[in-house]
Amino acid sequence: MKRIISLAVNGVEHELAVEPRRTLLELLREDLSLTGTKKGCGIGDCGGCTVLLDGVPAFSCLTLAVQAEGCSVETVEGLAGNGRLSSLQRAFVEDGAIQCGFCTPGMLMTATELLRANPHPDEREIRLAISGNLCRCTGYQKIVEAIRHAAEADHE
Amino acid sequence: MTLPRFDVLVPETVEQACSLLAEHGGGARVLAGGTDLLVDLKRPIVQERLIEAGGGDPGRFTTLGDGEPGAIDPWGSGDPPPDVLISLHKLAGLKRIEVLDDGRLRVGALATAREIQRVPEIRDRWTALAEGADSLGSPLVRARGTIGGNICNARPAADITVPAICLGAQLELQSPDGSRTLPGEQFILAPGVTVIEPAEILTAVTFPALSARTGSAYYKLGQRKALEISVVGVAVYVELAGDDTVQAACVTLGAVGPTPLAARSAAEVLAGGKPTGELLARAARAAAADATPIDDHRGTAEYRRLMVEMLTRRTLELAVERAGGRS
Amino acid sequence: MSNDYRILNTRAPRVDAVDKATGRAQYTDDLSRPNMLYGAILHSPLAHARILDIDTSRAERLPGVVAVVTWRDAGTEPYGVSPARYDETIFCHDRVRYVGDEIAAVAATDPDTAHEAVRRIKVDFEPLPLVLDGRHAMDDGQPQLHEQYENNICAQVHWRFGDVEQGRREASVIRTDTISSKMQDAAFMEPQAVLAEVDAQRNLTMFSSTQAPHYVQRTLAMALNHPLHKVRVVKPAMGGGFGPKASCSTAELATCLLALKTGRPVKFTFDREQVFLHSRARHQFLHTMTTGVRDDGTLAFLEHECILDGGAYASFGIATVYYAGSLLGGPYRLKNMNYDGYRVVTNKPACGAQRGHGAVIARALFEIQLDRIAEELEMDPIELRLKNVMDAGETTCNELFVSSFGMREALEAVRDSAAWKKKRALAGQTRAEGKGIGAACGFFVSGAAYPIYRSKTYHCTVVTKVDEVGGGVVVQSGAADIGQGSDTMLAMITAEELGVSLDDVRVQAGDSSLSVDLGSYSSRTTLMTGAAARDAARDVKRRILSAVAGRIDVPPETLDLKDGCVISLADPIDFSALRDEYLKEHVGFSDLPDSPKLSFREASRIAFLEIGAVVGTGEYRPPKLGGSFKGAAVGTSPAFGCSAQVAEVSVDLETGEVTVDRITGAHDCGFAINRTQVEGQMHGSMMMGMGEALMEQVIYDEHGRILNRNLAEYKIPTSLDMPQLDALIVESNEPHGPYGAKEVGEGAIMPVIPSILNAIHDATGVRINELPVTPERIVRALRRKSVCAK
Repeated sequence: MKRIISLAVNGVEHELAVEPRRTLLELLREDLSLTGTKKGCGIGDCGGCTVLLDGVPAFSCLTLAVQAEGCSVETVEGLAGNGRLSSLQRAFVEDGAIQCGFCTPGMLMTATELLRANPHPDEREIRLAISGNLCRCTGYQKIVEAIRHAAEADHE
Repeated sequence: MTLPRFDVLVPETVEQACSLLAEHGGGARVLAGGTDLLVDLKRPIVQERLIEAGGGDPGRFTTLGDGEPGAIDPWGSGDPPPDVLISLHKLAGLKRIEVLDDGRLRVGALATAREIQRVPEIRDRWTALAEGADSLGSPLVRARGTIGGNICNARPAADITVPAICLGAQLELQSPDGSRTLPGEQFILAPGVTVIEPAEILTAVTFPALSARTGSAYYKLGQRKALEISVVGVAVYVELAGDDTVQAACVTLGAVGPTPLAARSAAEVLAGGKPTGELLARAARAAAADATPIDDHRGTAEYRRLMVEMLTRRTLELAVERAGGRS
Repeated sequence: MSNDYRILNTRAPRVDAVDKATGRAQYTDDLSRPNMLYGAILHSPLAHARILDIDTSRAERLPGVVAVVTWRDAGTEPYGVSPARYDETIFCHDRVRYVGDEIAAVAATDPDTAHEAVRRIKVDFEPLPLVLDGRHAMDDGQPQLHEQYENNICAQVHWRFGDVEQGRREASVIRTDTISSKMQDAAFMEPQAVLAEVDAQRNLTMFSSTQAPHYVQRTLAMALNHPLHKVRVVKPAMGGGFGPKASCSTAELATCLLALKTGRPVKFTFDREQVFLHSRARHQFLHTMTTGVRDDGTLAFLEHECILDGGAYASFGIATVYYAGSLLGGPYRLKNMNYDGYRVVTNKPACGAQRGHGAVIARALFEIQLDRIAEELEMDPIELRLKNVMDAGETTCNELFVSSFGMREALEAVRDSAAWKKKRALAGQTRAEGKGIGAACGFFVSGAAYPIYRSKTYHCTVVTKVDEVGGGVVVQSGAADIGQGSDTMLAMITAEELGVSLDDVRVQAGDSSLSVDLGSYSSRTTLMTGAAARDAARDVKRRILSAVAGRIDVPPETLDLKDGCVISLADPIDFSALRDEYLKEHVGFSDLPDSPKLSFREASRIAFLEIGAVVGTGEYRPPKLGGSFKGAAVGTSPAFGCSAQVAEVSVDLETGEVTVDRITGAHDCGFAINRTQVEGQMHGSMMMGMGEALMEQVIYDEHGRILNRNLAEYKIPTSLDMPQLDALIVESNEPHGPYGAKEVGEGAIMPVIPSILNAIHDATGVRINELPVTPERIVRALRRKSVCAK
């Protein structure tokens, strides 16, 4: 039996009927057509589906949609305000932190939360924060650099 | 992998949660952070069930058909999926972490590893617990995974459970019939099996007050520095007396037995002794003898036993130092 | 490096980066269609069994199921990668050969129904004995997987170059070593996904996460018996490939079959578990090498034997077994080399190509041998290597010609950048703390010189067209940007040639209907498709300039395109007549040109008005390369990349845990089209190589089932495992590559494993000849050593 839930995604309120077993990832990708959030494994190993749930990073593949009832959800589609890239997005683009780009949405969400909580992370803190987001293309080098540059840009 | 069909019930109070559990009996599972339960519930793609073909021909197999009578399970997957998940996410009271007036630490069952990591008192005093929380999975697992889920999932390698037991965790369990408190070390019976009653919910984990001269540590050994399942985990707790001898000690081992394992002979070696390098080494050897590891694809029993010795010595040295003594 | 380029050799952001950073980029699984069905596949649960019966009736009766297909629909004509080894059928009909082998597929109105239907298909099996150990697959009496592979040998190579016996007589140090690896997974982040649709004329279009649209197009047409010109393969944004996505998969074939059968769009996306089951990733290698050097440290000979465990089917394996031998021909002067390679089949998922195809583990052992020989000769390992490296203009014993070669520069660059001499001198002190440093080199093709099927086909064509309204440029190519950045490379080359900005160039690529392009494998795209794009752009430029020159009556060679304008190389030119003409066409427009120069926008419009469509084409086909011996084609390439690396590690001598502290790599890419992207390829190679050295292995149980078919237990390095990576670019100006460019995508992985293993030896004094070098293997080796010492 479907359940009616309401939640805010990137600031927009939605009311949806969902099956109880539906994951937040499926809700985002299939019901709301927000396909920026990626499914790399479906079982919480890769971090590709990371969204912010009430400001905290969460695997959307291991979060049931009904658990997000009443929550605020932020996805990669919400990062650029009025078409202006966030400083993290800009740094990822300019520093070459994006290759295949499949980990990028999750990586950006994790990094967004990091910089909110800790505006001046050192390299170790950056590496620790993204250690649940796997990337197979970059060796993480340019991702770490981009996050550091974004933090610097935010304080200029 | 898809999730099987189930209903999700969302109680507003612990009492409601317990009565829902009582109502649904064995067909219900409790959902906390979901980082273990939902993974377990996702069905693998490769057909799991084979049945022996009819006609008494023992050499032949037929693939499955879910729930076919006589299904055998060569892949060893377990119980039938639940009909109902009882999600505790609205029970905000179970998230609270507090140091009680009497000096005990009380951690709500729904406190996440990430929340535990960030409490200064826990880092400072119940250090092994903080280090266990640090070691769990990855930042994303820590943001969802709860102490209650880690304990109730009852895995021998569980990174919060092993130090929690070491630090003398008392588990507060509530059911429609009332509540009870159990020592953590009596809770887990076998992998995935606990003494919890069908209508019971773990609501909080309480840790004894610590004297000034205690120290603890947890070390997780794996192949990479995040997203690991322990090859060996060692938690130790040491309390020193005024004369610098060991007043009390506890060594708890992860991933070297069917449950988190108390290395009792190690604790006996330590009790009353001066925490010299020699004593700690002896205790470490005792811990290795207490371990009952097996060979699996993560490591051999031989390596695990050896690592129990190395890591027990190291964590003991660290704990003694943290207790203000010198090893 | 100073040059006159405006765009090439810079750090221009990727053309797709903003779309990827905002979630707009569409990967295959992000696509959907009205009335779309969802696919699911039934995989074998047994590693080796006869199929007695397949009963799909219960699945067909399930509401929501639209089609169920098996071999009865797909036929039993074999297909595969290499025409000489077609050994797969779309679905198994009489036998399954690995856990995961595909038996049937379903299309249904939703994914759950499709999965449920698959679970209702009944298959009667008679289990057969298994072959799981590649070491023994060739032994007499082993069960046979395929009738055509006697003793389970799918391919073998026996090469004799020079005179090894003579080399042996000259050698003063000779040693034999072995190494074994495990099967590995490419662990790209995007699982394979397919969306297939058919129109009223039976035109089949398949969107797929593929590295090689052209090869896949051919395989689909052949295996599905559908006209080749009615098959179109499109690659949307793609989340990595690294090799396994370079061949046509059952997922692609089955999804197309379902679309053809139902007439409706069908989408099928692999679960991560299926990525492991399908595999087609790195083989398991068992190498034995005997290497001899003379007194002075120069190489005298190499005698090399390898068994490759390739799983149930040939896939790319025939190329793999050749590469495993041929790429030891460089980067050192080695006149005498014997190679015997055996690629065997076992009841495990088929292995294929993965970054550094065939050559990675062979390279690891050879570089370890060089270190051991240096130790015996009491020479510095880098000095030993420098003594032997080839120079540009030389040819290897197996007839590979290196036209540019920055090997020496690369080796010196890492030596100096990593302060090798100083750190090496401290080895005695640092070893006690478990610290070590190691070096290695590598050698790789820059594009396979021959296609997979026998043909004199162009390896790629590029069509560049200027917008007929003026101003924009479209580059059309079949090349597949799999994440490595080939679209950006094509845009940069085109913008450079036409003197326009990157923003004015739109790349349409990864579509088999646009051009033939053999795909993203063998590190070929920059050299080959880059050359074709350069020529196409020059062709367009010539057409524009001739048209403009004709209008103003000057010789075309006195004009050029630069900074978005037509410039005169001779006297100043008055363009006002052309300007007036353009302005008259655009009454009411704002943003009109007003500088005295004629803009590219105007020039391209004028050209259209003069000559109609302004289209330029370019194509690339390598010259005839290689010797006449059997298998000489594999390993040939228009150019060769080379690389050197220094790794620094700390080893916990009690637990065996390894921390890689720093990796310094240098790679000769000929010329860096995009400096950021060259570094990115090097960084990614370091990560993949480090994972393979220390933690990556697919683990099987005794039934042939993968125990770690997920990313929790198939371990790739996390951000905490990776150290600071220093990527040094060496540019040797390759004469056969566009602007001097050659490969970086795969060559950069070559030195990674041996440099880490050599560093671990430096740190611990022990050698481990089994990959991955897990903490447990290190502890065992350390304990063996201490027992021996006692």
